[in-house]
Amino acid sequence: MRELLTWLEASGLGQAMRHAGVWSYGVANLIHILGVATLFGSVLVLDLRLLGAFARAPLAAIAAPTVPLATIGFTIAVLSGSCLIVTNATEYIGNPLLLIKFPAIGLGLVNALVLGFVPAWRDRSARDLTARERRQLAVFGGVSLASWLTALACGRLIAYW
Amino acid sequence: MQAKLAAGFCAAILGVFVATTALAHHGWAGQSTEDFTLKGKVSKALSLSGPHATMQITDEKGQVWDLTLAPPPRTEASGLKEGVIPMGAEVSILGKRNLDPQKFEVKTERVTYNGKNYDVYPDRVPSPSK
Repeated sequence: MRELLTWLEASGLGQAMRHAGVWSYGVANLIHILGVATLFGSVLVLDLRLLGAFARAPLAAIAAPTVPLATIGFTIAVLSGSCLIVTNATEYIGNPLLLIKFPAIGLGLVNALVLGFVPAWRDRSARDLTARERRQLAVFGGVSLASWLTALACGRLIAYW
Repeated sequence: MQAKLAAGFCAAILGVFVATTALAHHGWAGQSTEDFTLKGKVSKALSLSGPHATMQITDEKGQVWDLTLAPPPRTEASGLKEGVIPMGAEVSILGKRNLDPQKFEVKTERVTYNGKNYDVYPDRVPSPSK
């Protein structure tokens, strides 16, 4: 972890961030919050639907806007977050919240990728799902909500360690 | 089902709040309320990158102190820019020390160099220079 963070801080992006003016960190932070808000807001609605809430709205109707918005939010969060972490990366050496945040992001990503291959998810607009399939999707919704909530909480608390 | 979900979600948010309160070292909660003054030589020059401006000074006993200043734009507005204070220069500071005696860190409100006060938190120091 020490080597990786030292390398990140010495990287070209790290140097660029440190020489990009006194507002650079603040602006990158603002963009990061926009990305995270877009990602988590979309994921929250979709995951609650998978868990059985808002059952009157068809899953396909909820997935249509939330999936692309979550993808866009995630991309913005990764790009801006990279700028934030490289600025003073060595400050995070030994920060346990970092070690919870990134595995949580990994779990959220893997969960979303695997969901993409689940027949019940792929057939969401083609047919009615069975009770068993709905329970299966609810598991993905629960894992997703738990991982993104963990990533969000740890991300915010990194600064307080 | 919906009520249970809502309750669970509220409980999770509440948990995050409790954790945040317990960890609130960002800001002034982790610092002493007593004024703390220190003299030393600049051993790591001012950096205006990151969430807060930072620098290091070394006191006469050789102890290295981490100085956390205001956020970069506010620090710069006090007149304290990168390059203003050279390495090795003698400075004195006023601020609030970290409550943890193992941490040699001061949230710095004023840096005095060459007879000039740089008040990075002008609302927290006596008779601010501007």
